Amino acid sequence: MAYIHLDGVSKQYGSVWAVDRADMAIGKQEFVSLLGPSGSGKTTLLRIIAGLERPTQGRVLIDGEDVTELPPHRRGVAMVFQEFLLFPHRTVYENLAFPLRMLKLPKGEIEARVEWAVGILALRGLEKRYPNQLSGGQQQRVALGRGLVGRPKVLLLDEPLANLDRELRQEMEVEIRKHQTDLGIPFIYVTHNQEEALSMSDRIAVVRGGRIEDFASRTAIYDHPRTAFIAQFVGRSNRFTGTALISQGKTALCDHGVRIESAARPDIADGKRIAAYVKNEKIQLKPAAEMPADAANTLTATIRYVLLRGAYAEYVLGWTGGEIIVSRPRSEAAFAQGAEVACFWNEADIDLFPMTEDGR
Amino acid sequence: MKGRAAPAIFLGMPTVFLVGLFVLPLVSMVVLSVWRTENYHIIRDFSLHNYEVLATEGAYMTFLVRSLAMASAVSLICTLLAWPVAYGITLYGGRYKLLLTLAFAVPFLTGEVLRIIALQGLLGPAGLLNGLLLSLGAAPLRVIMYTNVASAIGLVYLYLPIVVTVIYLSLLNFDQRLIDAATIFGASPARAFFEITWPLNLFGTLIGFALCFIPCLSATLAPRFLGGPNGTLYGMAMAQQFGESGTWALGAAMGVVLFAVSLLLVIVVARLVDLRRTGFTGFGRG
Ligand SMILES: Nc1ncnc2c1ncn2[C@@H]1O[C@H](COP(=O)(O)OP(=O)(O)O)[C@@H](O)[C@H]1O
Ligand SMILES: [Mg+2]
Repeated sequence: MAYIHLDGVSKQYGSVWAVDRADMAIGKQEFVSLLGPSGSGKTTLLRIIAGLERPTQGRVLIDGEDVTELPPHRRGVAMVFQEFLLFPHRTVYENLAFPLRMLKLPKGEIEARVEWAVGILALRGLEKRYPNQLSGGQQQRVALGRGLVGRPKVLLLDEPLANLDRELRQEMEVEIRKHQTDLGIPFIYVTHNQEEALSMSDRIAVVRGGRIEDFASRTAIYDHPRTAFIAQFVGRSNRFTGTALISQGKTALCDHGVRIESAARPDIADGKRIAAYVKNEKIQLKPAAEMPADAANTLTATIRYVLLRGAYAEYVLGWTGGEIIVSRPRSEAAFAQGAEVACFWNEADIDLFPMTEDGR
Repeated sequence: MKGRAAPAIFLGMPTVFLVGLFVLPLVSMVVLSVWRTENYHIIRDFSLHNYEVLATEGAYMTFLVRSLAMASAVSLICTLLAWPVAYGITLYGGRYKLLLTLAFAVPFLTGEVLRIIALQGLLGPAGLLNGLLLSLGAAPLRVIMYTNVASAIGLVYLYLPIVVTVIYLSLLNFDQRLIDAATIFGASPARAFFEITWPLNLFGTLIGFALCFIPCLSATLAPRFLGGPNGTLYGMAMAQQFGESGTWALGAAMGVVLFAVSLLLVIVVARLVDLRRTGFTGFGRG
């Protein structure tokens, strides 16, 4: 049963619809990400849920109650901000105690809960420090702690890791997901970083131009993108374009002599301009000599560079149509720069979309 | 070479500035205060006679106390008026913010004397306000004719722009999103103001208060033109020593007392206010 409902929520700034008819239902234990490029309306949507902005249209329900008209301090939500926004004139202890004091909890309870937050977030020994005496990672943990101590109905996180370096970010991802699971409260996590969204979320809402393009499980978003935008934005893909050819129960296209053939797509008319997306890691490689002549879903290419990414090798390949990128596990046989290889992929790994007028 | 010269220059400039404009005049004032003046001549014998006069002649103490009361009241009124004005501009000034800030400087385009005279024209017996009351058949307002109230109005009028500007600058540097954070975590708007906005702008408010309070203590023009018979303030009496009465040494002693009182107040305030608790980060990360 859904715990948070967004019902046709829209927000207009001047002539711009920052959020356009957003509908969402979020469960009580769910970790949901709002994923979209910068300026797509993620922050605005989060601020509407928090009560910091009033929607132009639509309603927000939390735990069955319509909170659309409630000011933020009566909603029982909490938020972690990208810029941390710790109170600079208060110590770590006081920052953590702030939500509890506002709840008018007894002193002993406040101490116990701050102690709990200090413990789970490894902040011990820092209680008397002021925010400007902390590192970025420590400030982030205090901000997270301040969000958790009050046991909010929902925790809203607005790009909380954007200001941290990569290594710290990955550590925090694990930590954030762990706290969400332990506390059993919904987290709504805003990010423009697909890796963050994919690593932590149960479900992902892809936001584009104020609209929710799709809201589905992370595997569905990744494996079966519903729109060309999602195929492009989530994961890393290679794109081929051409005109749709329907024959022998297949929908195919031809790009620079390479035939890309997928299962039949009755929704795409013959002769329409279409784009096919194949994810970097779905393309396989073998020596060019082993390539069967004239097969569909194969192309020959030359390796231009090899980038090493830990467990993966990323090949940048040149072919007649331009460049493609292929990512293979290091456990497979490696290819050297300059080698001629055959690239091939499965029919099922092709995502086909009709192209819009502007060629996207 | 460059590495060593730079700190010398950057510390040297304020030092020269302070010594030239502050320490030297102060020292000469202290020296003058222990000399005597007779018939417009300075006589260089050491004595504490001037301080004795200040301590024993009741009038000077009255002026000082009256000045302190006046300065406190005026600074308080200025601060109370300046806050909503400055806050309103930061919240709703929009693209006129800069223009509105500059507008505060407009009164400074005319001299202080001119502004006080203009106010005299407004508040006096035949002034605009009482003239209007009379023409409406009402009784004139006596409290604003040559009284301490009139002086106070004049001083508020003179220093309000400074206080507004200082508090406005403080609010401009204040991150309004901290209020968002406070309300999200359960603070009502009023609570957020007292928990966040007020303490984080206390330092600026105190500076605004001081920039009103200290010149009020030594104010001469407002009490002279608006104050009337019981309106003599300390600064006005001090100015007289350097003018009509020609008792410069006594005036210097008054100046030293004024400086000491101001300094004492600054120290007391500095003791009472923990800058850390105002979000002041000038201490570095230590
Ligand atoms: N207070 C505001 N006034 C006017 N326009 C705004 C305001 N806040 C956001 N916008 C506009 O709304 C759109 C969405 O902004 P935002 O929600 O911040 O996007 P995101 O968080 O996805 O980067 C942007 O075009 C932005 O310029
Ligand atoms: Mg944003």
